[in-house]
Amino acid sequence: MPATDYQASFLGRISIRRNQVIAMDGNHEQELQDLELFSKHVSERFAELLSSPDDVPFDALLSISWLRKLLDFFLCCEAEFKGILMMGNDPSQISKPPLDRLIPEFLDRSVKALDVCNAVTNGLESVRHYQKLAEIVVSALEQKPIGDGQSRRAKKALTSLISAMNVDDKECSAAKATERSWSFSRRGVSSKDRVPEHFRSVSNHVAKNWSAAKQIQAMTNNLVPPRGAEGSGLASPVYTMSVIMVFVMWALVAAIPCQERNGLSAIHFPAPKQLNWAQSITGLHEKIGEEWKKKEKKGTAGLLDEMQKMEKLGNILMDFTDSFQFHGDITDQKAEEAAAHAAELAEPCRRMEEGLLPLQMQIREVFHRIVKTRTELLNALDQVGKSSPPLL
Amino acid sequence: MDGCQSGVPTYEGDLHVVAAAHHIVKALGATKNLSDDLRKILIDLDSHLSMITSNIDSKGGRGLVDVEERLDQAERKIMRWETDPMMIWDSGPKEASDYLEAVDETGKLVDGLRGLSVHENRKQKEILHRAMNILQMAMSRLEEELIHILVRHGQQFEPKHMYSRSIRKDIVYDESFVSVEDEPIKETSSRNYSNDESGECIVDLVHADVIPDIKSIAKVMFTSNYGPEFCEAFISVQKEALEQYFSFLGTENLSIEDVLKMEWTCLSSKMNKWTWSMKIIVRVYLASEKQLCDQVLGGLGSVSSYCFLEISKATILCLLNFGEAVAMGPHRPEKLLRLLDMYETLACLLRDIDTLFSEEAGSFIQLQFHELLERLGESAIAAFEAFRVAISSNGSLYPFAGGGVHPLNKYVMNYIRMFPEYCNTLNLLLKNQHPGVADQVTEPDYGLDASLLTSCPMAYHLRSITSCLESNLHKKSQLYKDEALQHIFLMNNIHYLVQKVKGSELRLFFGDEWIRKHNAMFQQHAMNYERATWSSVVSFLKDDNPGSSSMSKSTFKERCKGFSVAFEEVYKTQTSWSIPDPELREDLRISTSLKVVLAYRTFLGRNLAYTDDKCVKHTVEHVENSLLDLFEGSSRSLRNSRRW
Repeated sequence: MPATDYQASFLGRISIRRNQVIAMDGNHEQELQDLELFSKHVSERFAELLSSPDDVPFDALLSISWLRKLLDFFLCCEAEFKGILMMGNDPSQISKPPLDRLIPEFLDRSVKALDVCNAVTNGLESVRHYQKLAEIVVSALEQKPIGDGQSRRAKKALTSLISAMNVDDKECSAAKATERSWSFSRRGVSSKDRVPEHFRSVSNHVAKNWSAAKQIQAMTNNLVPPRGAEGSGLASPVYTMSVIMVFVMWALVAAIPCQERNGLSAIHFPAPKQLNWAQSITGLHEKIGEEWKKKEKKGTAGLLDEMQKMEKLGNILMDFTDSFQFHGDITDQKAEEAAAHAAELAEPCRRMEEGLLPLQMQIREVFHRIVKTRTELLNALDQVGKSSPPLL
Repeated sequence: MDGCQSGVPTYEGDLHVVAAAHHIVKALGATKNLSDDLRKILIDLDSHLSMITSNIDSKGGRGLVDVEERLDQAERKIMRWETDPMMIWDSGPKEASDYLEAVDETGKLVDGLRGLSVHENRKQKEILHRAMNILQMAMSRLEEELIHILVRHGQQFEPKHMYSRSIRKDIVYDESFVSVEDEPIKETSSRNYSNDESGECIVDLVHADVIPDIKSIAKVMFTSNYGPEFCEAFISVQKEALEQYFSFLGTENLSIEDVLKMEWTCLSSKMNKWTWSMKIIVRVYLASEKQLCDQVLGGLGSVSSYCFLEISKATILCLLNFGEAVAMGPHRPEKLLRLLDMYETLACLLRDIDTLFSEEAGSFIQLQFHELLERLGESAIAAFEAFRVAISSNGSLYPFAGGGVHPLNKYVMNYIRMFPEYCNTLNLLLKNQHPGVADQVTEPDYGLDASLLTSCPMAYHLRSITSCLESNLHKKSQLYKDEALQHIFLMNNIHYLVQKVKGSELRLFFGDEWIRKHNAMFQQHAMNYERATWSSVVSFLKDDNPGSSSMSKSTFKERCKGFSVAFEEVYKTQTSWSIPDPELREDLRISTSLKVVLAYRTFLGRNLAYTDDKCVKHTVEHVENSLLDLFEGSSRSLRNSRRW
């Protein structure tokens, strides 16, 4: 290498350094590339989620498989994020402004996300219960010819299903109290009031007074896009990952029965449209938010696509069983319609059977991943704290 | 069943075939060792055939009438209860078995009628619908009866009877490490807890007397394809009972955020409670629940394990989440023993968990247990490290008054005295930690006769902890201006260290060589003390001129005065010093006495001529007695009191 070249590049570096204040060497360029790649991947992934066709039921927005894809993407983004943050050449960066403030905030959000994961895992137990009730309806109505007996059997399961879905939506603690008193005192020695239904609402395995909506609201605290010079540094992936985390938790809570969701649609997180990756997330947030607003008034157990189908078909079949009991018999056409609806209901049941356990396991995986990253970040901060001279 | 749907046979020949088939089926059914499935098939076949026969018999008349009569009879029995306020199973065994019989009969009729082609015969269709309606009513009723039985005969058991010994009342060193400087420390400890005590204990969650009733309901519901209803009802009640029991144990549900924010004392008691609840829930409650599921749903394939999983999953996850929260919390040194408790509990429950959740669907739970175990292990190691760091970095600004045993020393030694009980676990966890730790410890080679225990990983780490402690104590000793007090402080503390090691199982890990070495160390400090304090005092009594017979009076007076002043000064200072161990105190006094009193006596003896009252301020006896006041920890003075 000729000496002049060397000098030029050397001087060049110095001038860049002077202008930008940031150390601008090869590693930093690498870092910038990583950041760009990260946000590119984020926007690609979420664009794919946004473009999920509604008419293909398997991949529909908020269906089980869609949620699994969402969680998959979360895990991918998370891995890349950690790579950028921790594999960087200068580990001490995480203890310098603005990261010294942003990382603890991020960790705080992570802990909150863990509680959401647990609440949602719990909620899946309820979904499992709906599935079982719906399966009873299907098996009652798929028998031919449909008689009064099957119709009653279906109706009984439907009543349980619909009220369970409603119970789950109301305030959980209250619902729980009624449920308790119901099952243990409903038939005193002689009281004879027959409404044999088995409610099973979200069980109280989350702390009392815990609110999913408040939790997510709290996760958005201090969540502001990095401004100015911060925008080009590590502050930006921390912000991006935070938005992704909040969004994923928010979507899970919207989809799956969860304790206390009042005000869920009011939550918004600032994701500036000019940021490429934010567009799809904002789009999804709006789309799901609209959906939630529509259902919120009526009360809903959750926006999970399979559950919504279940609810819709459940109501139709409920009307059918009602009219069956009223008329004593039905026309063949009606019977065929009902059988068709029952067959339709079997579809979400099947998908739940296949997808709920994997979904639950995946949420647990997300849980463990968040724990792991948190531990690693804390250790890294600890290391940096030890190696740097103590502040006096 | 499809084979029967070919239509109602109309020929004589068919009749014979049917009769022959019926005969064979009956004969087969009489065989004793049939599997349940096969028996069910035969029973179904039997009812189909009898239906066909009755149909053929009557050519559309008598047979159906017969069926209808049977249905009427069953219906009467079933409907009677629809208006009765009593529960059937509460009314008596006869009522229950009559009811079941009627349900069974209805089920058979439904199966038989279904087997026939129903499209042609309106009457048949009508009867089938009626039968199914009755069956639905009965199933609904059975579901209610089931819930009633489960709730009414569900048994609460007192956890106290099961694991009374494992409730640890005396929790040692629950106070946090930070409080080391000012908290008095309880020295008693007992870990009344062992892992082997918890043998299998299975209780009846539902009274044993009603198990056959539940089983019979299960049987008839499953036979009639109402299995899902049975499961949902069974799961609902049992799940709720478990949740109630869970809250009865006093294990409230905490969010991870709550756990992370929790005060140490509160967290410590929750960790203890968790250890205890986990054992009872898994070893007793879940084992019993599993047994109940198997008893009731035995022979039904995977139904039993499905129900068990649904009943227990939520509670198990809740317990696991607390463990996760604890493991991710800050790794404070005081957490170590509680973490080890949790780790050991989990480790010894793993086999139970693997058995309880052996089915594929339960592998999720199994996995979570293994994950948590790993996490707790990591966390325990981190707490162990934090302990070491805390010992090294525990700093003081002022010297510890009196030179007695420093609270840090007490804390550390009493804390590590518990380690041998966790020996196996600690060895396992520490094995992969710092493989070079043996080099880091600047201890001499313990020789060939060192037992195995002194060379296990825990022993290395114990010695490295005490050497951290020793170097910290050395640092602390530098805070004293008085060299003699430095030695007293180190003597006291090293003596304490050795005593603690010798008086506990720790000695097995530290080894005789270590003990010998440390004994020598504190003895050295004792000698150094004597030299630092008394050499100058005794030097007044020295005979400068051993050859001559006596010194001049003035020299004697001067020496005497010098000695008195120095002795009084020492007395004043060192009465406030403290040697907490009575034996050590005694030893030091004796050796001091030997040195000082002997020298004084000789000095006076040599100069008997001058020993008038005026210049000899202290008698030998007085000096001897005064020495007994040293190291009692309360300052005194000889100057103003003239007791003699």
